[in-house]
Amino acid sequence: MNALAIARFTIQEAASRRLILAGVVLSLAFVGLFTLGFAFLNGKLAEANATRPNPQMVAAFGSIMAILGLYAVHFLASFLGLFLSVGAISGEIDSGTLHAVLARPIGRADFVVGRWLAYVGLMGVYVALMAGLLLLVARLIAGYEAPDPARAMVLMALGPILLLTLSLFGSTLLSTLANGVVVFTLFGLAWLAGIIEFVGDALSNEAMVNLGIVVSLLVPSDELWRGASYYVQSPAFLAAATAGRGAIPFAAIAPPSTPFVIWAVLHPLVFLLLAIVSFSRRDL
Amino acid sequence: MSQTASASPARAAAEGSAAAPAIETAGLRKEYGRKVALHDLSLAVQRGEVFGFLGPNGAGKTTTVKILTGLVRPTAGQARIFGLPAGDPVARRRIGYLPEHFRFHDWLTGADLLDFHGRLAGLSAEERRARIPEVLHLVGLAGRGGERIRNYSKGMAQRIGLAQALLHRPDLVLLDEPTSALDPLGRREVRDLIRGLRAEGLTVFLNSHLLSEIEMVCDRVAIVDRGRVVRSGRLADLVGGAPELRLLLDRVDDALLAALGEYGEVLAVEPASVTLGVPDLEVAPAIAETIVRAGYRLFGLIPVQRSLEDVFVSLVESKEL
Ligand SMILES: Nc1ncnc2c1ncn2[C@@H]1O[C@H](COP(=O)(O)OP(=O)(O)OP(=O)(O)O)[C@@H](O)[C@H]1O
Ligand SMILES: [Mg+2]
Repeated sequence: MNALAIARFTIQEAASRRLILAGVVLSLAFVGLFTLGFAFLNGKLAEANATRPNPQMVAAFGSIMAILGLYAVHFLASFLGLFLSVGAISGEIDSGTLHAVLARPIGRADFVVGRWLAYVGLMGVYVALMAGLLLLVARLIAGYEAPDPARAMVLMALGPILLLTLSLFGSTLLSTLANGVVVFTLFGLAWLAGIIEFVGDALSNEAMVNLGIVVSLLVPSDELWRGASYYVQSPAFLAAATAGRGAIPFAAIAPPSTPFVIWAVLHPLVFLLLAIVSFSRRDL
Repeated sequence: MSQTASASPARAAAEGSAAAPAIETAGLRKEYGRKVALHDLSLAVQRGEVFGFLGPNGAGKTTTVKILTGLVRPTAGQARIFGLPAGDPVARRRIGYLPEHFRFHDWLTGADLLDFHGRLAGLSAEERRARIPEVLHLVGLAGRGGERIRNYSKGMAQRIGLAQALLHRPDLVLLDEPTSALDPLGRREVRDLIRGLRAEGLTVFLNSHLLSEIEMVCDRVAIVDRGRVVRSGRLADLVGGAPELRLLLDRVDDALLAALGEYGEVLAVEPASVTLGVPDLEVAPAIAETIVRAGYRLFGLIPVQRSLEDVFVSLVESKEL
């Protein structure tokens, strides 16, 4: 009950600070840009195809565009989640607004969980809306159907949720600035590890692959994106990629393993618990 | 998740321990790293009292209040509120708290802030609707509830903090320097407000170093210094420990001093005045009669009370913070 009151309050706060408005405006601008670019390239492709037919290119086009658009959404959502949560606790402590609130008959856990629920809700809605819009554009313009959009969206939302939980935990321990530095570095590291793993795989370098795997277990945000990407590429495109003809460096050609998905669900829960414990011990 | 206070008999018993003081601490100690903020703080505040907690900067007043609200955990010792451990949700339900820095989410309007706090305090929507204008009026913010706190003056922000503390009709209010941002009229209003709370039977714990303020409203006080209570008791006993009378006369001679010696101890003698320590100010009329009968001319008979400031200064030696 109290957690819900805090969640409601957190969303009001985001709304009143124009955070939601700014997010919506910029994201809609992005969707508009994507639509224009997609329509333009689609027209060019149709022209080229009319003079010199290339069915393979036509099949790949939808997958590549969907991946590019969703990759951008993945970044947008990750940044948004981090910005939302980076000062979730530390900012309140710095501004001294917590004293009156936490003297009320609510637990520290209520406060942390309430904030978390609000951020998770916001991110869930954001990812679903943005990914849904982009896939709709792909379908309307190029008639491209992603194989499993629902699964892709869930995995895509899980990444930012995992990151924001990590930064919520950080904000119970560190100042907003320090926490920002740490979580953005971790996010970049996870991204880099994904690339290293991809290159290592291409070069058959086991050390590079293992490094990538270790980092992606610690911060699975990039790996989650890759998991999501698998479900939006057409089977034909994936088959070609598996056969060694033109995989995308930041997309996966195999589905995520079940143990990994379980770990990626547990990860935020573990860090939420850590955030509660760490905040409960703190003197205000 | 319903936490109705008297749901279980055990809870009711814990809550209804009518004998338990409003506040009771025993051997409270708080260390911040190497810094010891509270040494061994023991005090009791009875129900219905206005209790003044005074001390110099850094004495540990705010730390004590934060322990009572559960915001800070003591390193050692215990604190109880109405017999419940400090920090217990049931205990917190009965507390109203005005923090020292009264910083609130300033993107809210005053009324929205109160609504949020009412929700957290467990007030229903109707209760909130009825109570919010009431408390706004009580703290002198009637009609200003629709404005954003960001645009409030400092004094208004402190007033909305007071409103927030009184919103849910608490049994105990902890006020950490409630008038630090108020103008003289505002201070007087708050004093009247505190007297009103006492009349309603509330317990008020008032943190302050404004001695005159404490002197005007408190029943009992504790003076704290460097994390320890150095003196506590009824205000009247503290300041009135040994009443003195100052007599202004046309002349002073041995016969007069001998006569005065019957009533108390002669503390100081000047050519035209005598300071007399007396057990009780009730003897003043008798002294006047004696003097006049003996043929002296009496120009003044002034009771001199030790002020709280005298007591405070004598107890709290100046020191480096
Ligand atoms: N979070 C903290 N970390 C370290 N030291 C602290 C902390 N909070 C308080 N202290 C120290 O504890 C001591 C008591 O502080 P406290 O705020 O309780 O004093 P106070 O009596 O309220 O003073 P003031 O009249 O200035 O408000 C001070 O020496 C202060 O430096
Ligand atoms: Mg203080």
